[in-house]
Amino acid sequence: MSDRFTAASGRSVVSRTSAEQLGELAHVVVDANLRRVALLVVGKRRKALLVAWDQVSGFGPDAIMITDENALYAPRDERERDAAEGNLELVGRRALSDMGNDLGNVTDVVFDPASGLLETIVLGDHEEPAASLLGAGSFAAIIRAPAE
Amino acid sequence: MRPLVTGSAIRGLPVVTIGGGEDVAEVRDLIYTPEAGRVAGLTLNKRGFLAGRQREVLPAEAIHAIGRDAVMIDDERSLVLPDDAPPDVGAPPSGRDVTGDEVLTEGGTSLGRVRDVVVLVGSRGDVVGYEIETAAGGTGYIPLPAQLAISGATLVVPDATKEFVEDDLVGLGGTVDEFRSRLGMR
Repeated sequence: MSDRFTAASGRSVVSRTSAEQLGELAHVVVDANLRRVALLVVGKRRKALLVAWDQVSGFGPDAIMITDENALYAPRDERERDAAEGNLELVGRRALSDMGNDLGNVTDVVFDPASGLLETIVLGDHEEPAASLLGAGSFAAIIRAPAE
Repeated sequence: MRPLVTGSAIRGLPVVTIGGGEDVAEVRDLIYTPEAGRVAGLTLNKRGFLAGRQREVLPAEAIHAIGRDAVMIDDERSLVLPDDAPPDVGAPPSGRDVTGDEVLTEGGTSLGRVRDVVVLVGSRGDVVGYEIETAAGGTGYIPLPAQLAISGATLVVPDATKEFVEDDLVGLGGTVDEFRSRLGMR
């Protein structure tokens, strides 16, 4: 079963040990090299906290379970601060091919909630396999040039 | 059909890292080597509000592709200080600006004056033609052979060029290969 970034946004994040609601999923940060979810951002703006994907024990349709609330941490470096502010969010990011041509915007990402592996990058009315994702930053997501 | 872009459309494009997805600079100008018909490298401006000249340059060898919307590089290490760049790029000889040069055919007909270079989209800076201001004051696009005779103020092109003056870049993109095969090139 696949899930989508846009569908998961706003989903409750819950501690498995204390059953406490810790906040809502604000952003998903991917590792473009591994084509996998790297971090989740919980809560918005100054209250935003991060949790590493390997601390997510169950990414379910109704809630995202994490090992316990101590797995949440405040951003520690510039990249994590960027992540917390949503500057690395893939959805809404401009997409560029590695040949330097505009591909529109990333409108959604389809992923496997069990493994965190990305499956498909949705660019408006067309899709590219996640294997074509070459990089993702605050300026653009870089997609291997589709065959023309 | 070759996608083409003028030099003026390349100026101002963001320079973007493929692995990082970050805009690390923007194109200030092209360093053009007319004898070779290629861009040797790019000079750069900083990005953002305090945009000013960036000391580093981008040698063509380190360009992944010049696209319509961005110049793509592998990572920031592609930007080098002039002293560390090939001499062509780090300290280009003066007098290489072809803008304003008169274009003469081998038969002695003037086609107009050079206004800009035309670059192959997706290349590292292959210049396949020139935008010219025709004698009548209009805009034309001519294909270039790989090499040509050039002096300070005049460049000499094959007679066949006359038949290949196009009104727009799309037209030039459609005929540049035919022109080159006519001349027995690639």
